[in-house]
Amino acid sequence: MKTLFINGSPKKKLSASSYFIALQKLFVKGQKVSLNLRTKADYQPILNELHNVDNVVFCLPLYVDGVPSHVLRFMEVMESYCSDNNLHCHVYVIANNGFIEGRQNEPLMQVFEHFCTRANLTFGGGVGVGGGVMLNVTRILFFVDIALLLLNIILSVVHSGNFFPVESWISFIENALLLLFFNCGVLFYLCRMGMKMNKGEIAGKKYTRIMLPSFVFIIFADIFFIIVSIFEGGLFRGWLSKKSLDHPIA
Amino acid sequence: MSVIIHDLDQHYHDSLNNKADYVFAADGKFAPCQGCFGCWTKHPAECFMKDRLHQICRLIGQADELTIITKNLYGSYSPDVKNVLDRSIGTSTPFSTYRGKQMHHTLRYGKHHLWKVIVYGPITEAEKETFRYTAKRNAINDGYSESAVYFIEELSELEALL
Repeated sequence: MKTLFINGSPKKKLSASSYFIALQKLFVKGQKVSLNLRTKADYQPILNELHNVDNVVFCLPLYVDGVPSHVLRFMEVMESYCSDNNLHCHVYVIANNGFIEGRQNEPLMQVFEHFCTRANLTFGGGVGVGGGVMLNVTRILFFVDIALLLLNIILSVVHSGNFFPVESWISFIENALLLLFFNCGVLFYLCRMGMKMNKGEIAGKKYTRIMLPSFVFIIFADIFFIIVSIFEGGLFRGWLSKKSLDHPIA
Repeated sequence: MSVIIHDLDQHYHDSLNNKADYVFAADGKFAPCQGCFGCWTKHPAECFMKDRLHQICRLIGQADELTIITKNLYGSYSPDVKNVLDRSIGTSTPFSTYRGKQMHHTLRYGKHHLWKVIVYGPITEAEKETFRYTAKRNAINDGYSESAVYFIEELSELEALL
């Protein structure tokens, strides 16, 4: 079995989509290939791979209640290519959005269902993830957690020759378990979809989210944007004001 | 203010000019959104890419009635029209709120009246349903009180809907 993972995020590094691809790969057997879909230059390598794959997994962000335009453009090309070359793979989707409700990905899922119908491909289902950006942050926090543990071990060795500072390890394990808890919904549904893919079965559409109460999530999201806007300067450039056109749009 | 966004050719663009305060041709001569959130966090209501969509959110944000004329693609807006919408998230702010019992961003330009979509091209019944659903979601997301979706078989039917 061979599975092609298509990363539909326009971001070059550390996208939420790349995080979910990494997680999904844990549960998929056989040969796995990952390719980015950002520009038209990325089309041909993806189309070439379609000849040899059983499954295609699109992993992408939700943009304005739908599929990002650069992915839509590729889907049109892929439909023609699959029809011309008589290709019939299973298509699965992992969609993530910045809002907490994973169900907000439903219109995007429907578009992929219609795409599969027109391209004569099998829609294998998908997982819609709410709070994708924040879940992506948890992987960064996990690595920060590891770095802090290593730092504490080094300090402990230098000061007392102790290679096993118990309190530091307990703190690390507590933080890691908390991050795991935030991700448990995503891990469950990606595991489920991976098992279905391995059997060549239909997984259906499932929706999940970061395991946080909605009102807490909103507070964190607002704090996140305030901090980023301070560093990037937007907060001081009419952050919430009604901006008028500087010049007419041609 | 009324705004029309369309993916039709120049001939239709000219004929639409007297149908709204502003008519924008989604001709595809612009870059897709890079997902950087700079239009929220760095230069509010402005994209870092200085093409025709540089300040498109300022135009769309001030529309009380937005009409989108688009070719159907799998129950979605055409890539050119979707590109315009993707680049217009600066109509909202980075702050979050609840609308329609779900999380959304607060509106930079306040509430609007009508999100109208006119769809042309071959379309299945299932795709029509997706279009209606998406338009309703877009209206909630962007603070429009109403959404309406029309499906036309010939572009000659356009005139009666504008």
